[in-house]
Amino acid sequence: MSDAVIIEAVRSPGGRYKRGGLAGTRGDEIGIQVMKGLLARVPALKPEDVDDVIVGCSFPEAEQGMNYGRVIAMGAGLPITTSGMTINRFCSSGLQSIADATAKIRAGWSEVMIAGGCETMSHIPMGGSIFRPSPEWAFDGTMPNVYVDMGITAENVAANYNISREDMDKFGLESNRRAYEAIKAGKFKEEIIPISAYKYKVLQNGKRVREKVVFDTDDGVRWPSKLEVMAKLKSPFKQGGTVTAASSSQMTDGAAFCLLMTVEKAKAIGVKPLARLAYFAVAGCKAEEMGVGPAYAIPKVLKMAGLTTKDIDVYEINEAFASQALYSIRVVGIEDRLNAGDINPNGGAIALGHPLGCTGAKLTAQLLHELKRRKAKRGIVSMCIGGGMGAAGIYEML
Amino acid sequence: MAYEIKKAAVLGAGVMGATIAAHLTNAGIECVLLDIIPFELTEADKAQGLTEKSPAWRNRFAANGLAGVVKSKPAGFFTKKNASMIKTGNFEDNLGWLAGVDWVIEVVIENLKIKQELFAKVEKVVRPDCIVTTNTSGIPIKDITAKFGPKLKEHFLGTHFFNPPRYMKLLEIIPGQQTKPDVVAYMTRFCEQVLGKGIVICKDVPNFVGNRIGSFDISNAIRLTVDKNLKIDEADAIIGKALGRTGMAIFGTLDLVGLDTAHHVSSNLYAAVPDDEMREIFAPSELMNKMMELKWLGNKTKQGFYKKTKDAKGKKAKLMLDYHTMEYVPAGKPKFATVSDAKKKSDDGVAATIKVMFNGTDIAGEITREYLCNNFIYAANRVPEICDNIIGIDNAMKWGYNHQLGPFETWDAIGVREAVEVMKKLKLKIPKKIEEMLKKGCETFYEKKEDGLYFYDFEKKGYVKLEPNPRIILLPDLKAQNKLIRKNGSASLIDIGDGVACLEFHTKMNAVDDGMIEMIFAACDIVEKDFVGMVVGSHATNFSVGANIFKVLLAIQKGDWDILETLVADLQNANMRMKYLSKPVVSAPAGLALGGGCEMAMHAAKCQPCGETYIGLVEVGVGVIPAGGGCKELMVRVTEGLPDGVIDAGLNLQHVYTKAFENIAMAKVSTSAVEGMELGYIRKTENISLGRDQQLWDAKQVALGLAKFYRKPRPVMIPVMGENFRGMTDAILYNMRQGNFASDYDVHVSRKVAHILSGGDCAEGTLVTEEEILALEKEAFLSLCGEKKTQDRIMHMLNTGKPLRN
Repeated sequence: MSDAVIIEAVRSPGGRYKRGGLAGTRGDEIGIQVMKGLLARVPALKPEDVDDVIVGCSFPEAEQGMNYGRVIAMGAGLPITTSGMTINRFCSSGLQSIADATAKIRAGWSEVMIAGGCETMSHIPMGGSIFRPSPEWAFDGTMPNVYVDMGITAENVAANYNISREDMDKFGLESNRRAYEAIKAGKFKEEIIPISAYKYKVLQNGKRVREKVVFDTDDGVRWPSKLEVMAKLKSPFKQGGTVTAASSSQMTDGAAFCLLMTVEKAKAIGVKPLARLAYFAVAGCKAEEMGVGPAYAIPKVLKMAGLTTKDIDVYEINEAFASQALYSIRVVGIEDRLNAGDINPNGGAIALGHPLGCTGAKLTAQLLHELKRRKAKRGIVSMCIGGGMGAAGIYEML
Repeated sequence: MAYEIKKAAVLGAGVMGATIAAHLTNAGIECVLLDIIPFELTEADKAQGLTEKSPAWRNRFAANGLAGVVKSKPAGFFTKKNASMIKTGNFEDNLGWLAGVDWVIEVVIENLKIKQELFAKVEKVVRPDCIVTTNTSGIPIKDITAKFGPKLKEHFLGTHFFNPPRYMKLLEIIPGQQTKPDVVAYMTRFCEQVLGKGIVICKDVPNFVGNRIGSFDISNAIRLTVDKNLKIDEADAIIGKALGRTGMAIFGTLDLVGLDTAHHVSSNLYAAVPDDEMREIFAPSELMNKMMELKWLGNKTKQGFYKKTKDAKGKKAKLMLDYHTMEYVPAGKPKFATVSDAKKKSDDGVAATIKVMFNGTDIAGEITREYLCNNFIYAANRVPEICDNIIGIDNAMKWGYNHQLGPFETWDAIGVREAVEVMKKLKLKIPKKIEEMLKKGCETFYEKKEDGLYFYDFEKKGYVKLEPNPRIILLPDLKAQNKLIRKNGSASLIDIGDGVACLEFHTKMNAVDDGMIEMIFAACDIVEKDFVGMVVGSHATNFSVGANIFKVLLAIQKGDWDILETLVADLQNANMRMKYLSKPVVSAPAGLALGGGCEMAMHAAKCQPCGETYIGLVEVGVGVIPAGGGCKELMVRVTEGLPDGVIDAGLNLQHVYTKAFENIAMAKVSTSAVEGMELGYIRKTENISLGRDQQLWDAKQVALGLAKFYRKPRPVMIPVMGENFRGMTDAILYNMRQGNFASDYDVHVSRKVAHILSGGDCAEGTLVTEEEILALEKEAFLSLCGEKKTQDRIMHMLNTGKPLRN
């Protein structure tokens, strides 16, 4: 059997919810442009060689519906012989799609695939536009609340595991600082596909027009920030709660994709592999504390690989909330690595945003390019997942 | 000349200017709001990249004024969305906009030179027929207009709003010497009909009417307090509710208005009225001067005559100024025998309590006599100096100072002759015109005759008929004219002419009771037979505060479920009877329209709300749900107007019903009629009467208009979400419970609301009848009545007037 390798991993910049650089652009359009950008980076590959496309999406409906994977594949100019599918494991969808593509290629069922995720939170609300929990569900604690509000889960983690308000605020502040520094240093330039985004405007004469603007930089970073100001914010999730906008991920629009193929195919067309997804694991946990997912998934995937935390050079642990990210880091026992800058070295979702189904693929792009810069070997992308799950994948540079 | 104000310009964006602009938008009038350019560019401005050319900097004062009124409390806007009807700018760049407006009102600083310079610029740009007014409260119109050309003088007058303009009824109109009579007539009509104000036409004299009489009233009270060595709380206990004043009385009101403002008004007055026989009283007292020095200006400086603090235990404590030592001491609720006696008469109306106060034998009586007699004499001496007759003064004090009775009405309440006798004893100088009046055998200022109300005219030395405004329907007058059709203890049906009847409620706070429901049925029967339409409304402060929960609690405690069921069924049936009456019913809510009151207001063919209508379904506050058709009617409202077939096509009703659910489960109440529309309790196609005076007339016109081609509505089929709605609300309620935004019992009650709104046990997209929803309402109401925590909530509301969160 052939191993599956990643040739390139790219992403769009993250655009802030409703007011950001991608808010006027449809999700499929963002996905299409990123996919086109990815293909353009590997001119040696003939489009007809792409066998299948997997797009992860947390709310695959409305403009993200109608089998997003096929829509984006066709929109990106891939031939009709290229298939497409949409998968959903909520926030881990983007990582899951890369895992599924890797597995499929390894199984010998596909030679060349594109996998990633795409999500436009500006257009499709959390919970989807048609929210229909089961009327049969018991919300009295006898059944896991798979519909629970994510903010509540973050409050639960903070309260149940004593994650202090101060620690969370500091974590959020540091995320923003790192993201600001990374952007200033131009670190994201290589992984980002600039988007020709739409902006709707009303001219002085009252006429409505659509303009095209190039959007090439993550626009969610809040820097400079001050702890004193952050300390004044109130929790929108719980009266007297401790989780605030400053310690929560941002709602964001974005897309990210990887090109995967067999080692042999890479050799045949003469492209150099970047990395491989060596191991991948998912783990279930309490729905009401879904953020603790990485605390289970990371040890699980390490055990699977026979590695320890020391073998990992860089971690991208999604910052859905500071409470869950910090808790997971502490449980895994790698808080020293956080302080050393090996975890979320360029900031996380609190600063750069969390486009749900895209984020796993987005963090993959960020991780692989960071490992490349560091000339390091191994990295982990880990996600917490609504409904009570965690996912973690170990990437190895080639 | 036909004038029509469609657009206005407000010059000056201070609190008053901005709130006037806000009120104009409430009346549907678009405005431009201009102010000066800031004096200089600050370092902070430069840091933001602003230059002297940036509109953001040049328009800052106007923009800040607008931002201020958006946040103001009490709200200046009916809805914050109205802010988009105001365009901000500055006097240098945007005066050209004035060419496009029909009314310019100046509200800049009280400085003659500044006003004159501004008007010189305004004169150059406004259209010749543009009406230009000043909101000055003290500067004579003749001085402001001194340099005007003849054309502007003809279209210029004073329009003096009282603060806050949305809420204060008084608007003083001060014509200048050359103002055209048709301009005065138009503005009077416009301000009454469109802005909902009460107009007093004033002479061009210092402080006009309201603030002249009002300043005297306050100065008189302060002087008496000091002269008689009364404590602040004692003075307020005497010159308070028993004399028809607000609960804040004299010193509480001064603290609210600000001592600096009061000081400014009265010192201005002192300088401006050298011939006033009581001029000395306007000279700022030693006490006021001292407080000005100390900057104890009232609420805005957190201390004035009163100061709110917390005691050692953290409990709120009210302190008052001991003006001898200038220290704050605890304030209490001083008791006076006369005040207590007066309170016992409060059911007989304020005239009765004032009379008791005036005849009191203790210090409270003594103070009342001297205070009122001074006021009476001063007011009598001001006619015709400040306005033509007594009506203007009485109205100004009622509308601008919230006195329940004006000085002449108060005088009538006591008896003109009786008061004169007291004046003699007090050795006060009795105005000749009063002695004359009594000599002529005219014993009262007002006299009700068969054909209407008359008032004593000092100039004509006799009674003159008060010409009724045909747009003001006065139900008591109609009753006196034998227009009462039917009456019981709770409601009356009155013929208001042209084939329209008015159903008037008159229980305490207009709480819904058996009598009221009985009258709805009776009224519907009568109207169906003998009238072309019906208006439901009254002059009471509140349209209706909803069900009489005391009766509900009694029935629960007796375990009489039949009574409870009948109670609900009767209200439902009465509302449905109104809705499906073959003649049009127009509801005219004003003030509170809560719970059952909201339900009644909703079950009319059309609604003609007063701008100040506070409407909502608040039943969950007492642990029950709207069961008089409120849930049902809101479901009808949020789903009406959907094109045929969209439900079958799969229209997602989630957001529509979530809105209805939030309204009821969170007991949302609008802060204006427009917000009532935004909540869905009043259709957005309805018109609003800005003032109360003409609301019943407006509603009657609506009924008459409808009557011409009226067909009762066809029965409604309501699209519902069925069980799926309950799944969704359960998930939402879980989060609210976890987030401590709702208690367990809140969730319990909310689930009952959700059950009703879901339409019961049916699939998404089912069409249900109104009767089905009414049955669900009834079932939920009865089941909640059986719950201990609902009973606790009702009990708590009855005991404290506040909802219990249990």
